[in-house]
Amino acid sequence: MKIGVYVCHCGTNIAANIDVVKVVGYAATLPYVVVSRDYQYMCSDPGQELIKKDIYEHKLDRIVVASCSPAMHEPTFQKVLEEAGLNRYCLEMVNIREQCSWVHMNREEATRKTMVLVAGAAARAALLWPLTAREVNVTPTALVIGGGISGIQTALDIADNGFRVYLVEKEPSIGGRMAQLDKTFPTLDCSACILTPKMVDVSRHPLIELMTYAEVVDVQGYVGNFKVKVKKKPRYIDTAKCTGCGLCAEACILRGKILNEFDVGTSKRSAVYLPFPQAVPLKYTVDKDNCMFIRYGVCGKYPACKKVCSSEAIDFNQKEEFVELNVGAIVVAAGYDVFDPKIKPELGYGLYRNVITGLELERLCSASGPTHGKIKVDGKEPRAVLFIHCVGSRDAQVGNEYCSRVCCMYTAKHAYLIKEKLPNTKVTVCYIDMRASGKGYEEFYKKVQLEGVQYRRVNVAEVYQKGEKLVARGEDTLLGEPCEIESDLIVLAVGLTPKKNAKDTSVLLRIPQGSDGFFLEVHPKLRPLETTSSGVFLAGCCQGPKDIPESVAQASGAASKAVMLLSKGKVLVEPFTPQISEDICTGCGFCIEVCPYEAISFKDVNRYGYSVKAASVNEALCKGCGACSAACLSGAIQQNAFTDEQLLTVVKMLSGDT
Amino acid sequence: MSGIFKGAFEPNIIAFLCNWCSYVGADLAGISRIRYPANVKVVRVMCSGRVNPLFVIYALRHGLDGILIAGCHPGDCHYLQGNYIARRRLVLMRRLIEYVGIDPRRLRVSWVSASEGAKFADLVKEMVDEIKKLGPIEQFHENI
Amino acid sequence: MNLDKAKIEAKKMLSRGEVKYVIGYEIGTYGFRISPSFARTPEEVDKFTLSPLCANNLVTYLKVERSPPLPKGIKPSNLKVALFAKGCDSRAILQLIAEKNLSREDVFIFGVPCTGRIDPKKIEAMFPRVVSKADVVEKDDSYIIMIEGKDHPVPKDKLIFDHCRSCQYPNPLVYDLLLGDEVAAGEDYYDSVVELEKQTLNERWNYWRSHFERCIRCNACRNVCPLCYCDDCILERLKPQWMRRSVNANDNTVYHLTRAYHMAGRCISCGECERVCPMHLPLMKLYKKLEKDVKELFEYTPGLTAEEKPLLTTFKPEDSEEFIK
Repeated sequence: MKIGVYVCHCGTNIAANIDVVKVVGYAATLPYVVVSRDYQYMCSDPGQELIKKDIYEHKLDRIVVASCSPAMHEPTFQKVLEEAGLNRYCLEMVNIREQCSWVHMNREEATRKTMVLVAGAAARAALLWPLTAREVNVTPTALVIGGGISGIQTALDIADNGFRVYLVEKEPSIGGRMAQLDKTFPTLDCSACILTPKMVDVSRHPLIELMTYAEVVDVQGYVGNFKVKVKKKPRYIDTAKCTGCGLCAEACILRGKILNEFDVGTSKRSAVYLPFPQAVPLKYTVDKDNCMFIRYGVCGKYPACKKVCSSEAIDFNQKEEFVELNVGAIVVAAGYDVFDPKIKPELGYGLYRNVITGLELERLCSASGPTHGKIKVDGKEPRAVLFIHCVGSRDAQVGNEYCSRVCCMYTAKHAYLIKEKLPNTKVTVCYIDMRASGKGYEEFYKKVQLEGVQYRRVNVAEVYQKGEKLVARGEDTLLGEPCEIESDLIVLAVGLTPKKNAKDTSVLLRIPQGSDGFFLEVHPKLRPLETTSSGVFLAGCCQGPKDIPESVAQASGAASKAVMLLSKGKVLVEPFTPQISEDICTGCGFCIEVCPYEAISFKDVNRYGYSVKAASVNEALCKGCGACSAACLSGAIQQNAFTDEQLLTVVKMLSGDT
Repeated sequence: MSGIFKGAFEPNIIAFLCNWCSYVGADLAGISRIRYPANVKVVRVMCSGRVNPLFVIYALRHGLDGILIAGCHPGDCHYLQGNYIARRRLVLMRRLIEYVGIDPRRLRVSWVSASEGAKFADLVKEMVDEIKKLGPIEQFHENI
Repeated sequence: MNLDKAKIEAKKMLSRGEVKYVIGYEIGTYGFRISPSFARTPEEVDKFTLSPLCANNLVTYLKVERSPPLPKGIKPSNLKVALFAKGCDSRAILQLIAEKNLSREDVFIFGVPCTGRIDPKKIEAMFPRVVSKADVVEKDDSYIIMIEGKDHPVPKDKLIFDHCRSCQYPNPLVYDLLLGDEVAAGEDYYDSVVELEKQTLNERWNYWRSHFERCIRCNACRNVCPLCYCDDCILERLKPQWMRRSVNANDNTVYHLTRAYHMAGRCISCGECERVCPMHLPLMKLYKKLEKDVKELFEYTPGLTAEEKPLLTTFKPEDSEEFIK
């Protein structure tokens, strides 16, 4: 047994708070340690070469690397071992950066802790043995959850690479938030015009199977082999027959009565509806929560929609359908919701009719929106419009401390559009900071100001009604005095929040959420597209607020990650399966009961002439949790790399003094 | 043995952190540079379900002043149910050691998700303070 | 209690070669001793006795004799074993079946509804140095102790095991032949446990320490327990060494805490461990505490059915989080 110990300085990240040389000196005294070194950057090429060289020269068979978190570089160093001819599981890493030098300020204490951790690691390394990672086949299909611009881009990219994609969207049409936008900043492209071609591409692509009005309800399995259950909600319309003519919606007795979600409540629709004119697929849907026939079994003398439908597409007998999909990779592009300003009642949303959110204004500006692009307040053109930044963002009080990134720009765009439609209206924007960081953004912001939009650095505290006008009262922070701004229309720049059902998605896919509620990436800088659930990737705003260029870029990146996985065809799964000592096993079955994946079963063994039952594991099903090892009363079943002996050795070393 | 450093008692505490949630949470505390005392040493396991409560007895017998076991929040376990199984086991172990006269506050179980770096740091600070008040585990000293 | 019915059946089974042997009780070596009796022929059945002194849990011999070493060329016998089982004993059988350690077909049970058994420590304290073999019969609320021809009536209360007083399952829950009428259950209480729970942490430590100190690690409690059936006990392991071999208060504590934890949700409170302990350790106080906690926290009682899933392999999402911060 020859152990090599390597302590990394990580520049000054570790060395500033830990006496690395002392640790190296101490490590050299540990049992079986023949080489003990430190180096500036262990993960760098020369650092890696150092380890390889030692392995050859000193015939090392176990390596301890004390450096950053294994979450960062375990694969890196495992590869080094393999390149030097050792088994990758003969590596033991010690986390002395994230869990030591970065959090402990007392150098002496941090060094002592490091020494004891290294002692534990060396003792454990001596007990490690070579393991073989298991190879499993990857199903060459991907699942994209969410049909917004991110989901669309991801699906197109994966499909263009030659892999089948299921795109599951819970609304009746794909398009997401971008479909609700009128024009996009800074180019002022018509959102629908640039989105629709992509939506059509998706519907026409031979390798994309589009499932709209469907939701993912269960995900089992693991990377490369996910079993996904999708619930196809009943539209009550036979999509094969529906031509999208719209006669049913015109005839519906509830026409103009139901709040239209697509228009964010600024218009009303029928019970049978198309979310928007460019919907893909162009099929109508019956809203089962409002439709009279579905709720009460009767609608007038005879449902009007059925009467007028010449294709006989309406089918009230439709039931929800469940489908099972086998996929190898999953990309989550679930999108965002906007902040509900009712949580900040002082801004008057919900109280005063003419306080609206940016998304509502978007629909009003849109030519295909409820007002055909005309902005009218109480039937008249507003003389003054006021925009308020940072509603629900950068606000610890409501629990959203982050900046939503897009509001400064979309407000600037809205201000510009208002000025374009109503050149004589006074447009004021109450900002706190101005963030225009993308390509062409700063130039656009300047253009908006040149149009006559007035930017005032006002912190708005309250909105109240004064006669027919609305007044925003706040503090002009540049002038350093309180001020009141009168307006006919107030638009709140609401921030982006995670979707309301993000928690359910998080549990479904076993991907954690960050403290802000957006899905958590493995590493914010180096691995922004992957989650801790292998094979599940993130794209778009569900990972954090971002604008369209970034969403599309990230979507392509996520697609690339998925394709990497699918094209390899095989994936290595950690070999943390259990070993069973058949002569100790009493056949009590505790491990079998406790295994969440039913990976263990009984098998007959011959013990001293008797045929007895002992536990036996199916390695293909085992995920390596170790619950079996803790359940066993006699210690017969031990998890590879986490045996009782290995763990207790560390406990023993950590209890000692150095 | 716990260190008697500069006359003050410095608890020696061991923490079992699960690979997918609490370990990442502890890393996040580091990434966010949140300071916490150096008394807690981490042992990584794949799941809190791997933690055999007898580890607690072993640790106490070897003079560790406190044991922290942190797993994913119920419902979020990467392996579906490891933390639920661990929960049952650890409740019983805690009650058992309390009944035999070992202060149950030496065994602490907590749920720490991958994004709760601050919670992990607070957890460590609280536990170190508490164990400082309890004193070193003299109950298993060799000289008896 | 109809012992004769059992004897007739046992003789029949033995003469027909249906059972390997029948395990019963016989009068022991001296005084109030009772020995387990293995009858391999019909004649040996005559030695059987059944009296309030018969406290042994015979189920432990199912474990011990489960797979005796086979001489070369001899095949294992697949004959049944017949034994007497009181209420608590039958729970041990059910728990063993639930833990896949036993099949119901492997055992023929003479069910004995039990009205309590005599604690040998108590009777030997009351009648010290009795050498000639004694016998006891039960009469209403007293025991008639018959020593050298003289009858000594003693109220049951003075001699019965503490844990028999609060026995909830005096009638066998599984049997093939019931040897008497069913009896009423006792009142369920955990007085001795509650008393200890009320004390301070320090007081409890001192109490248990004073007892663990005296333990000589004879392992009798482990050997007699029907549910301690691991051929290779984890406490004997060297890699890893969970417990040191030394006999001192520290390591004795580890021994007892380990066994107590391993018994959580499995101990059926037959009290054998306390009966056999040569140092009179109050082991039932320890195991009853776990039984109480398991009932309170998880509404679980071991040994009631053969299909029960072991306690620590199941969970409920609403399980107690009482101490999780």
